[in-house]
Amino acid sequence: MNPYVLTILLSSLGLGTILTFASSHWLLAWMGLEINTLAIIPIMAQQSHPRAIEATTKYFLTQATAAAMILFASTTNAWLVGEWEIHQLSHPLATTTVMLALALKLGLAPVHFWLPEVLQGLELTTGLILSTWQKLAPFALMIQVAPTINSSLLIAMGLLSTLVGGWGGLNQTQLRKILAYSSIAHLGWMVLILQYAPSLTLLSLFLYIIMTSSAFLTLKTNNSLTINTLATSWTKSPTLAALTALVLLSLGGLPPLSGFMPKWLILQELTKQGLPLSATLAAMTALLSLYFYLRLCYAMTLTIYPNTLTATAPWRLNFTLITLPLSIITILALGLLPLTPAVTTLLTL
Amino acid sequence: MLKILIPTLMLFPTIWFSPAKWLWTTSIAQSLVIALASLSWLKWSSETGWSSSNLYLATDPLSTPLLVLTCWLLPLMVLASQNHISPEPLNRQRTYISLLVSLQMFLILAFGATEIIMFYIMFEATLLPTLIIITRWGNQTERLNAGTYFLFYTLAGSLPLLVALLLLQNDSGTLSMFTLQYTQPMHLLTWGNKLWWAACLLAFLVKMPVYGVHLWLPKAHVEAPIAGSMILAAVLLKLGGYGMMRMMVMLDPLTKELAYPFIVLALWGIIMTGSICLRQTDLKSLIAYSSVGHMGLVAGGILIQTPWGFTGAIILMIAHGLASSALFCLANTSYERTHSRTMLLARGMQMILPLMTTWWFVASLANLALPPLPNLMGELMIITSMFNWSHWTLLLTGLGTLITASYSLYLFLMTQRGPLPSHIIALEPTHTREHLLITLHLIPIILLILKPELMWGWCF
Repeated sequence: MNPYVLTILLSSLGLGTILTFASSHWLLAWMGLEINTLAIIPIMAQQSHPRAIEATTKYFLTQATAAAMILFASTTNAWLVGEWEIHQLSHPLATTTVMLALALKLGLAPVHFWLPEVLQGLELTTGLILSTWQKLAPFALMIQVAPTINSSLLIAMGLLSTLVGGWGGLNQTQLRKILAYSSIAHLGWMVLILQYAPSLTLLSLFLYIIMTSSAFLTLKTNNSLTINTLATSWTKSPTLAALTALVLLSLGGLPPLSGFMPKWLILQELTKQGLPLSATLAAMTALLSLYFYLRLCYAMTLTIYPNTLTATAPWRLNFTLITLPLSIITILALGLLPLTPAVTTLLTL
Repeated sequence: MLKILIPTLMLFPTIWFSPAKWLWTTSIAQSLVIALASLSWLKWSSETGWSSSNLYLATDPLSTPLLVLTCWLLPLMVLASQNHISPEPLNRQRTYISLLVSLQMFLILAFGATEIIMFYIMFEATLLPTLIIITRWGNQTERLNAGTYFLFYTLAGSLPLLVALLLLQNDSGTLSMFTLQYTQPMHLLTWGNKLWWAACLLAFLVKMPVYGVHLWLPKAHVEAPIAGSMILAAVLLKLGGYGMMRMMVMLDPLTKELAYPFIVLALWGIIMTGSICLRQTDLKSLIAYSSVGHMGLVAGGILIQTPWGFTGAIILMIAHGLASSALFCLANTSYERTHSRTMLLARGMQMILPLMTTWWFVASLANLALPPLPNLMGELMIITSMFNWSHWTLLLTGLGTLITASYSLYLFLMTQRGPLPSHIIALEPTHTREHLLITLHLIPIILLILKPELMWGWCF
């Protein structure tokens, strides 16, 4: 793509999200979301491949529906209550509609069906943007409206998402779809805690972004899109293959890796709020996700025959561009758990 | 504590920066020095029960023997793996030893932790290196299945534990092992409390493993490389027993009634796994099932909550750790020569490797609890306290002892005695390394006859 066009698109992508962050008026927030959507559409469609076009169309339709619902809900609220402020959203009809619209925007169960399909059609860098940056604006809105939303709706959606995210990924062989289901499961954890400790939602979101970026960048480095191609990735970079197994298990939330921190703190908060049953259910559904992460680890790292192979490392090592961000983000994705006391202190500030 | 932890941490640079020729020598030497230094924990001077404590880590009579066992096992694991890992590329050898060392780090932190959440995290953290050791360095393709079983059995048990611990933290305000036993006893009446009780113990019962949730253990043992089998049998299973003994203090009023099904399961498991051992053809699988049986006895001893039960449980854990690890090493020496775990295919070894037969003999006797050995002391204390609790248990425990003796003899006779099969024609002679390995297992068992109070736990 032409660099000037790309610059304009990326800056309006940033502008849209930041506009949503900064707005206190529903109309402005809605506008930010729309700018954001419109900016990513050409980036998604830049690969002129039928799957990419299909993914772009699906993305456009879902985002447009969600944005229309947000506009409808905020207008309804303004009509019934007379307030355009974001945290003055008080009418139950409006709050529920906004919640559903934001869920559709993020890809939370039960309105998650577009996410795996869309992610599957995109190339990995765009997929990375879709599963990280594009989550920020809806979450900013969701945290602001969370106090007025019916809490059983949030818990039901959260638990359903962790379940669907774990369950749906079990059957997949396409890595982008697996990452999409992993995204759904992680979003479920974030929504589960949304009303009780919004700071934990943010922490969980940041850690998810770190871990999933590491996973996406690794796949980009190895240029692999299916489980089968993962099996040869160790010949390209053995160290990376070894670390990726740990990153995947960190996504699955195994201690002593970073991914355990949000799960631990969320379970702690849920039990503190008197919801041990939901906490147990969420923890058990995390096992479903862990199963497909583990399968990826098997394919990538753990099934190399333990003796010397005749295959050699390829002589082309052309990934100098993303090595630095990849290594930084991988270290973060693996080693943040010892910082938990510092993080919990920061959260209470 | 740091006197051991920092040298253990410094093993990583030793492993990664020592020249290839000296890799195994230096790592074994350094870990052996650490093991010897850890013996100083056994010198007991504290009046309060806890010693060498700082804010997060401490030792007490319960954890000390297990900590020393952990440190003792590392040089032995490295020694045992030397033969089959050293043909690999250098970086993989280094990764392998690093994994073993990281396992030791996590285990020391787990046994030394004074906060239950920290214990939990370290308990879980041991899964990761073990999983990699099993699935990356195992031999057959079934190792992937074994790894999945291992991970999911343990996690399915321990995630409810995490929630239960967090509930306890909300209730009592602390999870420190120093103070928990002085907190107010809780009023546990509802069904939810009973579920909480089960969640507190389930993780450890799976890890032990008690009969019924033991299926992961034989698979993991059979597929793991020798170091994996050793650490699993010797220390990782003991995490379950240790955790149960720590949790028992807090579960007090409920355990009396609720423990019945688990005691029944544990005792029934002794008979069942013993019977399974009697008709086993796979050498490693037999030793693994024998571990399940012994751990059933340990679980029973802990669940009836008497001082003798606790003491017997910890003695049996230590003694069984050394004996079963020695048996796995012996199985591995035979596997490295015949390349088969099937007992029928490797009989009559006494003809070729007579000194090895001596080691087999002593290790089998330790497994079946011959009189002066600490194994017998542990079993007797548990059986006595069970008998005191209910006379009928003698039926199960007595029969269990009998079956244990039979399958240990079966193991010994099957592998060592009898005619030599004609296909075994050119076996490698035994190495000094292997004799040293078994000797280092058996010396602590024999020396512990003389000073068993080192592992009497709280009741010393």
